[in-house]
Amino acid sequence: MKKFTNLLKKEIRELLTAQLLVSLLFMMALFYFIGDVTKREVAKASGTQTVAVLDFDDSEASRGILKGMEAERFAVQSMAGKTKEQAIQASKDGDAKVLLVIPKGFGQSLTDFQVREIETYSFMRNFSMVGSRTSAILKGVLTAMNNVISDRFLKAKIPESNPDSIKNPIKSRDYVVVKDKMAEGSAVQIAQLLSSQTIFIPVILMMIIIYSSQMVITTVAMEKQNKTLETLLTVPIRRTSIITAKMLAAGLVGLLSAGIYMLGFRSFTGGMTSGLEASSGMTAAMRQLGLSFSTSGYVFLGISLFFAILCALAISMILGVLAEDFRSAQSLIMPVVLIVMIPYFISLFADLNSLSLPVKILVMAIPFSHPFLAVQNLYLQNYGAILAGIGYEVVVFAVLVLIAARIFSSDKILTMKLHWGKKRAKATTV
Amino acid sequence: MSVVLTVQDLKKTYGKLTALQGVSFEVHAGEVFALIGPNGAGKTTTLRIAATLLTASSGSIRFLEYDLRKEPDKVRERISYLPEEAGVYKNMKGMQYLRFMADFYAATPAQEKEYVDRAVAITELGDRLKDKVGTYSKGMTRKILLARALMTKPVLAILDEPTSGLDVLNALDVRAMIRRYAKEGTAVLLSSHNMLEIEYLSDRLALVDKGLILDAGTPGELKDKHKAANLEEVFRSSLR
Repeated sequence: MKKFTNLLKKEIRELLTAQLLVSLLFMMALFYFIGDVTKREVAKASGTQTVAVLDFDDSEASRGILKGMEAERFAVQSMAGKTKEQAIQASKDGDAKVLLVIPKGFGQSLTDFQVREIETYSFMRNFSMVGSRTSAILKGVLTAMNNVISDRFLKAKIPESNPDSIKNPIKSRDYVVVKDKMAEGSAVQIAQLLSSQTIFIPVILMMIIIYSSQMVITTVAMEKQNKTLETLLTVPIRRTSIITAKMLAAGLVGLLSAGIYMLGFRSFTGGMTSGLEASSGMTAAMRQLGLSFSTSGYVFLGISLFFAILCALAISMILGVLAEDFRSAQSLIMPVVLIVMIPYFISLFADLNSLSLPVKILVMAIPFSHPFLAVQNLYLQNYGAILAGIGYEVVVFAVLVLIAARIFSSDKILTMKLHWGKKRAKATTV
Repeated sequence: MSVVLTVQDLKKTYGKLTALQGVSFEVHAGEVFALIGPNGAGKTTTLRIAATLLTASSGSIRFLEYDLRKEPDKVRERISYLPEEAGVYKNMKGMQYLRFMADFYAATPAQEKEYVDRAVAITELGDRLKDKVGTYSKGMTRKILLARALMTKPVLAILDEPTSGLDVLNALDVRAMIRRYAKEGTAVLLSSHNMLEIEYLSDRLALVDKGLILDAGTPGELKDKHKAANLEEVFRSSLR
């Protein structure tokens, strides 16, 4: 155990360099900064919106509509007394995102039940995701105007009525059923909320697996590049201990790196999705449907992820043996990255459980798919599927470790190499 | 002198390439046994098999009472190996490296201290041991590696080209060190293609070429046998 600890400490020290820590902290600070800026922009965009209005009609009806808009989160900036060109210029120079031009006779048309056009000018000042909300604002303005107009009309014609009941005489009471549980709520909203809450999980899984693999492949390749491997292999420590120490160190440092990255990434995307707040009713519905992770759920996910990491580490360990130096190790990590990408993208854009059989078999054969599948299965309480996935990961890991141990205990650790398009050297040191 | 290493009819092939065609020799306690020969003769392969890095295709190799193929872990506790192109963990300080290596062999903290103290004395690097190994010259690196190989006073030290890349003064220091440890009882199996160095350093030697031992004996015996003035002439004569 003493020898193993000695080696483990060395492996961690080799991987956890000051350069790595500085770069991780820098990335985290950068993500936090970008997230903070985005959050402020999103808050600005979803707050009170300034709408410039040039009201040529200036009738009681048009004034009433504008008053109604003010009640619905719009700051109306009057352009009274200006020509249309002057109003456009003034709006362009100001901070209004939309200019409405209400034509003369607008109020009269409403009285006569005539459809009347109003002119709208949208000012696109940038083309970012947040900046392109102008069209949404415009849509909001028109909806608000139509609501005010129709409500006023209905109130005038049928004073004792509720305009909303007349406009929307059919209302639905929505229920969502998940397996044997039922709760009141909208399926669309629940799906959106669930997706916003779990969007990080595949990203975290992918990053941890890729980071750890990169670490372990690097540690083997660096031993070769720095010519320290031969010495290490002749010291009195079991080869399996060398493999385990390298895998454990890489796993721990990979976990730390991914954790730091994720913290930064979370504050970055947190800024992007800060508008998506869960209503208490929806949260209660999700709880009622069992769509929240319990402690045992997290334990299952953790075990599945742990074995996926171990599989990735074992594959990388074998690939590391093939590498001649650090550079070739970086190329060799690509297959692992690509294999992790398959379940990652499928989990983001499709339901892994509803794929066609051949694709499903392919995805299931990838050991890294199972933590991704576990997330979905946990929500559906398919514990049998989760356990089967973990069992499969354990078997794959055992096979891979046996292969790695055999390689490390044989001549192959020194003789196995990939020759990228190069001819095998005829004269070697013998 | 007791036999430490017994090599009998050792053969090694890498695919179609035959590196060793049947090598046999013995190394005794307290002697320096050298393998000399040109590049590609099979010296490094022999040393790597003796160091438990490679396994022989056929033949037998025993260290004391242990069969290397069956009990490599036992063997590794009592031998040390210095590869020709060995490196050191560059992020470690010299002292840190010596402690790290000593920890694998020492059973107690007192023993670890003894090994480290011995290594510090061998390196003669003084305060430079507080610096990172990445800042060392080639000579300093080779010295710290040699110190690592000798600090435990192994039963058998396997040294592949121990003075490779060293300047004259450093090479002299290293040779003196090897002789001193052999005198204290360590058996040394080394390889070199510097025949003058071997003539000074070795008690016995084997001339190796194309995976075969051409001749073996003390430098004096071989020179007499081949009526040669030095080992280079012995080697040329044995090739004929």
